[in-house]
Amino acid sequence: MARIRVSPRKALHEWKLYLFIVPSLAMIVVFSYYPALSAMFHSFFDWTGGDNKQFIGAANFRRLLSDGVLWQSFVTIGILVVANIFKMVPSIALAVLVHRVKSDKWQYWYRVFLVIPMIVPGLVTLFIWKFFFDPTSGLLNAVLDVTGFKSVLIAFDRDLLGWGVFQEGVPIPWLGDPRLIIPSLILWGFPWIGAVGVLIYLAGLQSIGTEVYEAADIDGANALQKFWYVEFPLIMTQVRINLILLVIGTLQGFGLQLLLLGNSGGPGGAGMVPGLWMFNKAFLVGEFGYACAIGILLFVFILGLTFINNKYVRVDK
Amino acid sequence: MSRAAAIAAPKGSGREGSDWPKHLIILAVLCIELLPFYMMLQISVKDNHAFLTNPWVPLPPGEWQLQNLVSGLKLIGPYIANTVFVAVCATAGSLGLALLGAYFFARYDMPFNRLLWAIFLVLMLMPGVANIVPLFSLLKSVGLLNSLNALILLGIAGGQVFQVFLLRNFIEDIPKDLFEAAEIDGASHFQQLRNIVIPMSGPIIGTLAILAFLGAWNDFMMPLIVLRDKELFTLGVGLIYLDGEYVKKWGEIMAAYLVASIPLILIFLFTMKLFIRGLSAGAIKG
Repeated sequence: MARIRVSPRKALHEWKLYLFIVPSLAMIVVFSYYPALSAMFHSFFDWTGGDNKQFIGAANFRRLLSDGVLWQSFVTIGILVVANIFKMVPSIALAVLVHRVKSDKWQYWYRVFLVIPMIVPGLVTLFIWKFFFDPTSGLLNAVLDVTGFKSVLIAFDRDLLGWGVFQEGVPIPWLGDPRLIIPSLILWGFPWIGAVGVLIYLAGLQSIGTEVYEAADIDGANALQKFWYVEFPLIMTQVRINLILLVIGTLQGFGLQLLLLGNSGGPGGAGMVPGLWMFNKAFLVGEFGYACAIGILLFVFILGLTFINNKYVRVDK
Repeated sequence: MSRAAAIAAPKGSGREGSDWPKHLIILAVLCIELLPFYMMLQISVKDNHAFLTNPWVPLPPGEWQLQNLVSGLKLIGPYIANTVFVAVCATAGSLGLALLGAYFFARYDMPFNRLLWAIFLVLMLMPGVANIVPLFSLLKSVGLLNSLNALILLGIAGGQVFQVFLLRNFIEDIPKDLFEAAEIDGASHFQQLRNIVIPMSGPIIGTLAILAFLGAWNDFMMPLIVLRDKELFTLGVGLIYLDGEYVKKWGEIMAAYLVASIPLILIFLFTMKLFIRGLSAGAIKG
């Protein structure tokens, strides 16, 4: 930080410099601060999005408490958050594997292959997966049939679940049965490799010096021990940042559910998440005030998590 | 890569030949990971009959239905044009404003500097989930609904915090002597920004530009809410619309997906090194 602290006189002379920050500041005030404050304000109103609004005190928030769909959607998003945390494991494992490959040439090519899926727009990947889930022409059912894995699912269903959704000769309705919605949302994106995540972990792993590995070798550490005591501590910071971003992103995201399952969250509303419920309330029913209240509930929830994380979760480097 | 070389070489000494299980696992994972991409490529040149009888194996080049690509281009060409317009304007605009903002924070410690910086930093922690509903009504009240300008403005605003944050760090690392020499020569702040900062921050500007462009390209939520007329659809809404319309002709749909990816493929071919390097650099700094 070699910045020069300026005297008030110099600052007065350099007043033009303030013009540099005005456009940027104006943008975030208008498009980030104003909407957030407006949401807080309007969560106390009966508001249909226009000029007409009526102050109704905390009625919207009382309504939140008795909104069964909303609480069910929190359960759903909770399951998805936990699943997504587990879905971080393949990226970490892949990064470590690529890092341990001895040949630099291969390491380079693996990076290139990792990046290739990123050149497909996210939406396209999503729709291709939707196509994979298609019961008749989709590839997921075809793969299950060919590999014989479907009979495992059928046995599993018959003996343990008793759902009757997996049956011989009947295509599995992945996005068409309420009980299969959450499994489908979890399965989505298999094998769950996040290219950006892997590249970031790889960058972290590269900072491990040779002497650390040599010391580990002398101590007779095996591959797993090297991971726990050498590699994992070094990418802990990146893993933690990714974890936080992932949890926050999952909690407020609803694009996946909207596109795979539609406005209603799929059959039986089994894929309804809080964000999608807010979207529904605002843009389908026109209850903007209530939608703002849902938004504020999520806002406070996420802010609380961020606060707890910053205050209590410390990772020593 | 040179650092990786220095690390990778000695660690393997004495254990040669034990590497193939790793390669096998990595390759298997990458194959599954690339499966959607492969399916998109090979189905895009099949007609429905070929797809239904044989969804897996690519057709020999002689039987490729190249008119699929033509109809794919017809389906989403206009959407791509709209998206390119929005993405280019939003990227250029947000980087321009962010450079000005970052210069302000990095150059001098002006009065109110800390307060203004806090205003930016708070947004890093603040979830934006509640914003979408009031944003819609804000755009409605200023008559920006159903217009591409709204998307450009939102794109510019959305990138500010992250870009100012990264660019500020970068500009602070530029040697002060350069600025002082320019000041003695009578250069204005704007000239210093143009002649010193921009030439020296090429890689970071490039990385941020790619990220901003990707963000605009992949965005569908705001376009879905803002746009009504089909002529204005960006790729995001266009693909959603296509998903609802054409349920049966998989070949044409996959061709349309492929066409939608081509601009990104081109960008990545030219900037892949920059992209990988940028991501890694950002990770080390953060």
